[in-house]
Amino acid sequence: MTFRRLALATVAAAAFAAPALAADTVKLGYQLPLTGDTAQYGQDFRKAAEIALDEFNAAGKPFKVEIVFEDSRSDAKEGTNIARKFVDDKAIVGVLGDFTSGVSMASAQVYKEAGLAQLSQTASHPDYTKISKYQFRNIATQAQEGPYNAQWMASKGYKNVAVIAEQTDWGQSVVSGYSEAVKAGGGTVAFSEFFNRGLKDYRSLISKIERAKPDAIYTGFFYEDGAQFLKQLQQLGVKTPVYSTSAAYSPKLIELAGDAAEGVRLTSNFLPTDPAPNVQHFVTEWKKRSADAVPGQFPAQAYDAVRIMLAAVEKAQPNPTREKVRDALAQTTDFPGVTGKTTFNAEREPVKELVKVEVKGGAFVPVAE
Amino acid sequence: MIDPYYLQQLAIGLSLGMTYALMAIGFTLIFGVLNVVNFAHGEIYTLGAFAGLVVISATAPPVVAVIFAVLAAGALAGFSLERLAFKPFRRFTDEASLKSRAMRESTLLSSLAVSIVAREALELLFGSQMRSAPAEYLINTPVRVGPVILVTGDFIIFGVAAVMLVGLQYLLTRTRAGLAIRAVSNNPLGAKYVGIDTDRTIILTFVVGSMMGAAAGILMGLYYGAVFPAMGFVPGIKAFVAMVMGGLSSIPGAVICALILGVSESMATTFVSSGWSDMVAYGFLILTLVFFPNGLFGARRERV
Repeated sequence: MTFRRLALATVAAAAFAAPALAADTVKLGYQLPLTGDTAQYGQDFRKAAEIALDEFNAAGKPFKVEIVFEDSRSDAKEGTNIARKFVDDKAIVGVLGDFTSGVSMASAQVYKEAGLAQLSQTASHPDYTKISKYQFRNIATQAQEGPYNAQWMASKGYKNVAVIAEQTDWGQSVVSGYSEAVKAGGGTVAFSEFFNRGLKDYRSLISKIERAKPDAIYTGFFYEDGAQFLKQLQQLGVKTPVYSTSAAYSPKLIELAGDAAEGVRLTSNFLPTDPAPNVQHFVTEWKKRSADAVPGQFPAQAYDAVRIMLAAVEKAQPNPTREKVRDALAQTTDFPGVTGKTTFNAEREPVKELVKVEVKGGAFVPVAE
Repeated sequence: MIDPYYLQQLAIGLSLGMTYALMAIGFTLIFGVLNVVNFAHGEIYTLGAFAGLVVISATAPPVVAVIFAVLAAGALAGFSLERLAFKPFRRFTDEASLKSRAMRESTLLSSLAVSIVAREALELLFGSQMRSAPAEYLINTPVRVGPVILVTGDFIIFGVAAVMLVGLQYLLTRTRAGLAIRAVSNNPLGAKYVGIDTDRTIILTFVVGSMMGAAAGILMGLYYGAVFPAMGFVPGIKAFVAMVMGGLSSIPGAVICALILGVSESMATTFVSSGWSDMVAYGFLILTLVFFPNGLFGARRERV
């Protein structure tokens, strides 16, 4: 009880002290899964955010930034609870996260009401930024990626395609974004189905896909499911080419699937092999903190998202308010990140440049077409 | 001539069913036969897989050594589980406590608690990402049998499950230890009165069942090439359904039902979206509970 009273007093004191505090420390919230089935992603985001934050605070700015990390377990209920907590903390001027589209969209309702800017590094469901003027993202949507991939596959002569995706908000946007583009381009979708995330045995599904005899398979999955799918595809001797979204772009895909990943084609907006100095700087910092592992696309997006937010906070100085931070975010133009230049358009969508990548000789190799 | 597609789906279903059966055997021994409510078996399975992986990555020993290490880890895990989550509820030896259903069923929560702690601990220790064993240990080399394709692991799992099933049936019906297990399950108080060391019998059953759970874990880890802290959850549910369908106390019943489950799931994938194939398992559970409260392979004990 005394502890609670103390906490209350602290909160009250913090609220009163906010204007004075704002001069030296600005608080941001970051909701992300740190435990549970998707913890590996959230842990990576936190690592990327810490790299960005340490750099920012070491740069000798007139103020420091603090990020409060809260564990959402990729659970929509937890996500909205955290959102309420962040909204109640008057010192927090901007929020990052969540990981999945589903949780981000659930939390977005709270941020919309409170007028607190939310920038997700990964929520790629088309409806997310439509919720209110406070929602931003730093990832290509499936409305952008689907047509891009459809065109890529059509240029290879694959007219009759199969599409599968995980049964989530995001997975549905993968299927719809892609299928519509295929049909618009005169192709046919021979097979379209959803599977449960975390399914271990894809062999029944693969047999069923093969019965439809597609020219190529387009897939909406993350690297865990992707690795299982590709391995079992190889087991069953299926040679149909596989295309995927940037969500599967992780070195872990190749690590888990081994040579079954050979020939998989996907899009990305981050290449750790890019010689650009900022990319190499991030890759070096990441390796230092991760036992020499190479970052995938998601940590890179998180790193950029945090830096975009930090830039907005800086722009909103002095005395940043939630509204000022939102406006500064909305004005982000040509932000030079490791995932390319980011500009938010009027719908708060980033326009991302996508790169075509193929797995060759156990590595992601950029390809011209 | 049957469409090779259906033959392939049947083969996949049988192999899927065998993987459920592998898990269901140890689970049924503890939960069904010994009649102890235990929801931590899935974590024993996960622990077995992780123990195997740690041994493999540390010393790259021959497969036999991996199996022994995993069995040892399983035995230890089973012993500790019993000590932590079950023994404290047997500290009262008066007749009322021994007969009390509440006393016995409170292990539902204590075993669940242990399972949550174990899973989160594994997550903290290893992270929740998927890991794979080195390729030379994996048991998923494709094997063509006529029109269908299986993998080496399917035969290994079939062999192991058959040995476990026959071994347990022998233990339960032909040995004194098995007789003691059945006696304790049937009437703990009575067993005590006739001089059976109930504590030892219960610990023995946990150790044997958990060794099987751990072995199933590492086998499945090498079969799918994926080891992660939450891996025990889904197989645990499938094993539970198979056990209930099989009539709780019948291990052969659980194995047959696991096979039925696997085949129905893979066949159902043909007609409904793969996202719905889990519905088959739950549908069967509900149908069994409604129409065959004693399970398909009629146990005499009424308690589901």
